[in-house]
Amino acid sequence: MPGRAIACPFCGLVCDDLLLDEGRVDTRGCAKGAAGFARRPAIVEHRINGRAASLGEAAAAAAGLLGAARLPLVTGLAADVAGLRALVGLADRLGAVIDRWQSAAQQTNLSLLQRAGALAATFAEIANRADVVLLIGNDPTPSQPRFFERLLRNRGALYRQAPPYVAFLGPEAAMPGDAAVSERVPVNEDALLDALSALAALGEGRKLAASASLPLVALGELADRLATAHYGAVVWDIAAFPPAARAPALAILLRMMRRLARRTRCVGLPLGGEDNAQGAAQVMLWQAGWPGRLSFAGGVPQHDPWRNHAQRLLAAGEADALLWVAALSAAPAPECGVPTVALLAADAPAARAEVEIRVGIPGLDHGGAVMRADTVVALPLAPARPSGLPSVAAAARAILAHLLATP
Amino acid sequence: MITRLARARVFDPVNGARGETRDLFFEDGVMIAAPAGGVDRSYDLDGLVVMPGAIDIHSHIAGGKVNLARLLMSEDHRGAPVARGAATRAGGGVATPSSFVTGYRYAALGYTAAFEPAMVPSNARSAHLEMADLPIVDKGAYLMLGNDELLLRLIASGADQERINDYVAWMLHATAALGVKTVNPGGISAFKFNARGLAIDEPGPQHALTPRRIIQALARAVFELGVPHPLHTHCNNLGIPGNIDTTLATIAAAEGFPLHLTHAQFHSYGTEGDRRFSSAAARLAEAVNRSRNVSLDVGQIMFGQTVTASGDTMAQYRNRDLASPDKWIVMDIECDGGCGLVPFRYRDGNFVNALQWTIGLELFLLIEDPWRVFLTTDHPNGAPFTCYPHLIRLLMDRGFRNDCLKSIHPAAQQATTLGSIAREYTLEEIAITTRAAPARILGLAGHGHLGPGACADIAVYADEADRERMFAAPRQLFKNGVEIARAGDILATPDGATHVVRPEFDPAIEAEIGAFFDRHMSVGLGHFRLSEGELADAGLNLLAQPCRPRRRA
Repeated sequence: MPGRAIACPFCGLVCDDLLLDEGRVDTRGCAKGAAGFARRPAIVEHRINGRAASLGEAAAAAAGLLGAARLPLVTGLAADVAGLRALVGLADRLGAVIDRWQSAAQQTNLSLLQRAGALAATFAEIANRADVVLLIGNDPTPSQPRFFERLLRNRGALYRQAPPYVAFLGPEAAMPGDAAVSERVPVNEDALLDALSALAALGEGRKLAASASLPLVALGELADRLATAHYGAVVWDIAAFPPAARAPALAILLRMMRRLARRTRCVGLPLGGEDNAQGAAQVMLWQAGWPGRLSFAGGVPQHDPWRNHAQRLLAAGEADALLWVAALSAAPAPECGVPTVALLAADAPAARAEVEIRVGIPGLDHGGAVMRADTVVALPLAPARPSGLPSVAAAARAILAHLLATP
Repeated sequence: MITRLARARVFDPVNGARGETRDLFFEDGVMIAAPAGGVDRSYDLDGLVVMPGAIDIHSHIAGGKVNLARLLMSEDHRGAPVARGAATRAGGGVATPSSFVTGYRYAALGYTAAFEPAMVPSNARSAHLEMADLPIVDKGAYLMLGNDELLLRLIASGADQERINDYVAWMLHATAALGVKTVNPGGISAFKFNARGLAIDEPGPQHALTPRRIIQALARAVFELGVPHPLHTHCNNLGIPGNIDTTLATIAAAEGFPLHLTHAQFHSYGTEGDRRFSSAAARLAEAVNRSRNVSLDVGQIMFGQTVTASGDTMAQYRNRDLASPDKWIVMDIECDGGCGLVPFRYRDGNFVNALQWTIGLELFLLIEDPWRVFLTTDHPNGAPFTCYPHLIRLLMDRGFRNDCLKSIHPAAQQATTLGSIAREYTLEEIAITTRAAPARILGLAGHGHLGPGACADIAVYADEADRERMFAAPRQLFKNGVEIARAGDILATPDGATHVVRPEFDPAIEAEIGAFFDRHMSVGLGHFRLSEGELADAGLNLLAQPCRPRRRA
């Protein structure tokens, strides 16, 4: 096999068997990874009010803009671990709010952990051990294209003798087509919470009255499968539930897994982890004690899932400056009326930002590390196509240095 | 720059100083003999007590498990936020302090090193990245082995000791670890097969391997590789009444190889009395007193709120119903380990908790050699490390100890011999158990003493009768010669070193490990292994401690 193995930061699986050979990356058939590694720089110059500037000048302007704000917001956060370490430090010094941008699903999953806990397992445990797998809500493939290949269709599993029994519970439109799926139980989005309740109740041995909207026979069989599994795994996409159903769905799931665990093993794995979402949660946790929705405005870290929600703060006009960070993604800064500093990958279009700093893409322009969706494993990234673009960490440190130099 | 600490009352057990008043000198970051010429800076300590910086040999300070504990213990962070200062970062928490606050608090207590005792191999990168944000103190980690599939296979397949040694050495390199820890050997793996207990001579579910064989293989590997720190052992059956038999059997299993029993308090339980729960501290102390190859850290509990954070998923799952507040996490990790988090509130009015408190103190007081017993609370499992000054007073002040004893559950007072133990630790013994002995047992050259050539890691205390007050507020702390803390204020926050070992091994083992990773694991060998470059980029300053391969005569 030609080339050297590299890791891919473009989804929460962080597969590390891609091959880099003379600048070309074989992504093992993954279109999402291929799109990521095909990103090419379009704009590499830093700008202040549209005019080209050096990194030092841009960082000084950014420090002035952010330092003058009453409540700056640091968001986007699509960065590697080094970038996030520097950004949380910057937010601390600024007295800013720091939160990922698309954080609703992750926040819901984390809230349950904070309130009740978890039964969990990492990828290698599921891939080597799970003999019954229940997928809930959504086909993992669009967000994690090699999910089935890496976790369920893997060869050489250590402990399971045969491929796992894989069932899907969720809307028709989101059904996985993957051949690994043995059973598909269609339930539309609005009935998903009821279906989960029924699954849990049937597992507890309760009798349910026949229902037109719920496939009780199939749910009863699923409950039996989980109860008789050696090692069951439940994988969910919480975003597939209507918003009001998400917290109760997770509570039911945890209760069900705990009941099953009294007699056999059962573990859970939430889907997610895009744009190093777990890296962001982990760095905020270790540096400040909270996984997101974090404010340093009072001089101490404060966590409030509602008040410190990045999208709400901006929409409500409570934040008066924005530091937007998108290196792993090319997401443009949100439309808003507040002064903006944007740390952008070089393939992102020109921003409506007072200060625009072009940064490298971790795993392409420079090395670094990102965390997988299962939280435990961080993987190193290679500079697959090295460039001189600064990293998010370097840009954030430059801004911080200017802040510290101007009392 | 040469600094003099004048008229210090020096407690430096390695160099025989037992409180004599003299001058100490250091140049930049290193201790020196009295210089012929002048000095650049001088502090007149006027009889203040001076000791080397303290070293915590077992404290859960970093890694995925600690971070999950922070997440679970939101009350801990909401209730105890810490504001940013001129030189310091914001953070918070008592039982699960944030990384920066962990460094500041250790420094404020006179500590200059703390070691994370349970790094899961697959979590090594993340743990080190986190420790890069833990300032001031030196740090390092013990690698959890003994439930990792490849090691179990090697032992079960009859691999010779040389191959096991090669594997252990390769893993220590790959994960930048300082020592080897084993947690419920075989038990974490067995729990993944739904076993709910594993006795020391019970064959595990996958390879019919007993914990005894795992302990033997690892204790010998650590010895033969010349890794200074003995196998750091969390025995099977943690927390179970009657587990003293397992603990004593573990000592026997080591067959004379050096062995360190960790948080021994949790492994010193008998089954006597009406409640079928009793102290077996005297039995363990007796065994340790006559077994020169054995050391232990206590894992003292203190009454109050904390969280238990452990790699021992089997024990944590068993204790889930004791969770207070009622929430818990158990996680299986990468066919090499696991972690479990169970919040705990130890109550002095609870018989079991009260007896646990006496058992820990009995161990401290009944083990004669202070070089082989280490002051820990298994932070945060027995209590947060910020309880150390209180614990030191309990050890040094019999009157205070007996007053405290009067406030615990009456049946526990009846059951313990603690009240009759007259021993009080001396300042010299505190200097041994918290400084000199930890440095020696970890093989940290240049630490734990103040002789010429040592690091200028120095804590200065006022000699107060109230030893809790004394040790809670050092007057000054120097780390590598830099003044870090004065009267509780943090003045500077440099990064400490990360101590590692790099034992020799036959590189042929790598092909075998690589094949296993390729076939079964979710990361490749090349990515599992940490590179020195990435650790340096993360801001870590690696310091390799020497290993001298040994063979038993």
